[in-house]
Amino acid sequence: MAASISGYTFSSVCYHSANSNSDHEGFLLGEVRQEETVSISDTQISSAELLQVVEVHNHEPCAQLFSFYDYTGKVNHEILNRILKDRQKNVIGWYRFRRNTQQQMTFREQIIHKQLTQLLGVPDLVFLLFSFISTANNSTHALEYVLFRPNRSRYNQRVTLCIPNLGTTSQQEYKVSSVPNTSLNYAKVIKEHGAEFFDKDGVMKDIRTIFQVYGALQDRVQAVCGEVEQSERVKEKLQEEVNKLKQQIALRKQKSTEAERRLQEAQNPEQRPTREENSEPLETSLLSRVVFHTPSTPERPGPSANPPSYADLLSLQDDSLLPSLSSPTSAALLPRPQAVGSPGHPSPSPLGLGLSAGTSPAPSPSTPYLGNGDGSSSDSLDRQAAGQEDDDDDDDNDDDEDSSEYENLVSEVAQLPPITASVLAQGRPAALSPDGDASVRGSQTS
Amino acid sequence: MAVSAVHLESDAFLVCMNHALSTEKEEVMGLCIGEVDTNRIVHIHSVIILRRSDKRKDRVEISPEQLSSAATESYRLAEMTGRPMRVVGWYHSHPHITVWPSHVDVRTQAMYQMMDQGFVGLIFSCFIEDKNTKTGRVLYTCFQSVHLNKIKIEIPIHVIPHEAIGKVCLESAVELPRILCQEEQDTYRKIHRWVASEAQGSIQFVFTKNLCSQMSAVSGPLLQWLEDRLEQNKQNIIELQLEKERLTQELATM
Repeated sequence: MAASISGYTFSSVCYHSANSNSDHEGFLLGEVRQEETVSISDTQISSAELLQVVEVHNHEPCAQLFSFYDYTGKVNHEILNRILKDRQKNVIGWYRFRRNTQQQMTFREQIIHKQLTQLLGVPDLVFLLFSFISTANNSTHALEYVLFRPNRSRYNQRVTLCIPNLGTTSQQEYKVSSVPNTSLNYAKVIKEHGAEFFDKDGVMKDIRTIFQVYGALQDRVQAVCGEVEQSERVKEKLQEEVNKLKQQIALRKQKSTEAERRLQEAQNPEQRPTREENSEPLETSLLSRVVFHTPSTPERPGPSANPPSYADLLSLQDDSLLPSLSSPTSAALLPRPQAVGSPGHPSPSPLGLGLSAGTSPAPSPSTPYLGNGDGSSSDSLDRQAAGQEDDDDDDDNDDDEDSSEYENLVSEVAQLPPITASVLAQGRPAALSPDGDASVRGSQTS
Repeated sequence: MAVSAVHLESDAFLVCMNHALSTEKEEVMGLCIGEVDTNRIVHIHSVIILRRSDKRKDRVEISPEQLSSAATESYRLAEMTGRPMRVVGWYHSHPHITVWPSHVDVRTQAMYQMMDQGFVGLIFSCFIEDKNTKTGRVLYTCFQSVHLNKIKIEIPIHVIPHEAIGKVCLESAVELPRILCQEEQDTYRKIHRWVASEAQGSIQFVFTKNLCSQMSAVSGPLLQWLEDRLEQNKQNIIELQLEKERLTQELATM
């Protein structure tokens, strides 16, 4: 099986994923074709192989997680129909974007996949997994993608996803010198018949035509771009108004609950004062959830929140400028540096092995980072079995964005150097760090 | 003084990805436009796709004309946003190559930093595949040079969510087919002087073929993505209007 996706669709998925604080998922629309490849070998005259080609044309992002399934992983057929509407027949797969996780399907994803296969009636539904990982200092980020065919046998579940581009569509080179030829007959014939191709200026008529086509296409691109731009502005404005309304509603609710509380206190003056203290933080946390936890507005710390950690990071860099500059330390932090091709690091450093040493006894030396592949070794199977619960928990943590994920970090933060701790505490936790792989452990190992 | 961090708006990130994924045969490059705040954080709001005047491998240099047209773009963005914008960095792609900057990249970056200490370099590495695990990878990194030693230092980079795609980013994205066509015309013009008249036909065929491939590989998918985005936006607008009405009613009853 071969699969392809256009660069624009791929970047669009990356864009939607970058905009979401939690995991992101959606459906893949496209078509599956059968291509016949005929091969002749010594044993047979001709053998025709049917190659299934999956072409992803477009993606349909889901606005929220758990939009068509619940916490037990049960898919709701009605909601699914509502989300997909008439595009249901074009669905060939679905995708999920996760940060700092293993490149394997989680148990919930497998359950959902089985149900989607049945409900959508696509026997070979594919699943595209995007996982995002960063170095500890957040300077280098990797987006990894794997296309799974879970409905096939245990083996050969992964399919290469290729992104066709200008480089693959064979742009021809201009050849200045051709085979030397001084034949007069040749020149005569070419001159006589060549006049049909060229117009009076010596320019090929085809070129003028092709320019017209190109011009028309570019004009159309500009026109649609203009429409998209207008729709973006309208959407932006509506989103702002919706957010403002939500804030106003939240404020009203806050005022009304406060008024109620005061009324209750006035009616029951002999109530213990501790009740106030207990309800106060509860209310403020509730308020902060209500006011700020709107799924549409991204909750990223603004630039003003970052300076202390970056300043610390910078001072660390200045202090240890020489050792930390060249690749060795940073290459060791990157996932599977050997596969990526970092300069001159054929064998994993002790740091790299240290990452997975805590979990399995003998990981293969080529993959210091967790995530062995398609579960071919027993180690990763055990890890997968043990890690199922954790993966579910991880999903929940990502969705609700409550503090429990950070609690894992907080306990181990004391062991880390102060700089990484502050960086971790800021936004998304870094996946890898030299000493403590707090977030990696928390999300992937039992 | 080195930059402390880079905040790349997600719509500018989208344009960079589009550009980097447009070809695996050569490195593409562009300029980043934005501003630097008092905490030495570089905010990149938009990017400009550049033409490669010299298509040698691993040599990415910007001509003075391109720099000046980039300056014009940044004035436009400044007018639109009401904030001072300027060229704050450059990006280029490493197809099939590791994301780390090469020695040439680090030297080029050092040269730019001589003009502007806050200049940053971004690299997008794409079309990487791990044959064993059939995993594809796209990486991006941010770096600067340390002047004297010509060694790179890593700068933290974060992609900042931006729910709607900005006007300048959309315009930059649709410039790509035009730039590719201009590059093709330049190559053709340089060549056709040296070609005998009988062979003129064949190079004109090549030009036509290359332009057709550009249209099918770039303009077509770009148009498709724009149409899909328009559809999605229309759908979202309907949903947002419904939600706005619902919330307005809820507020009125409170």
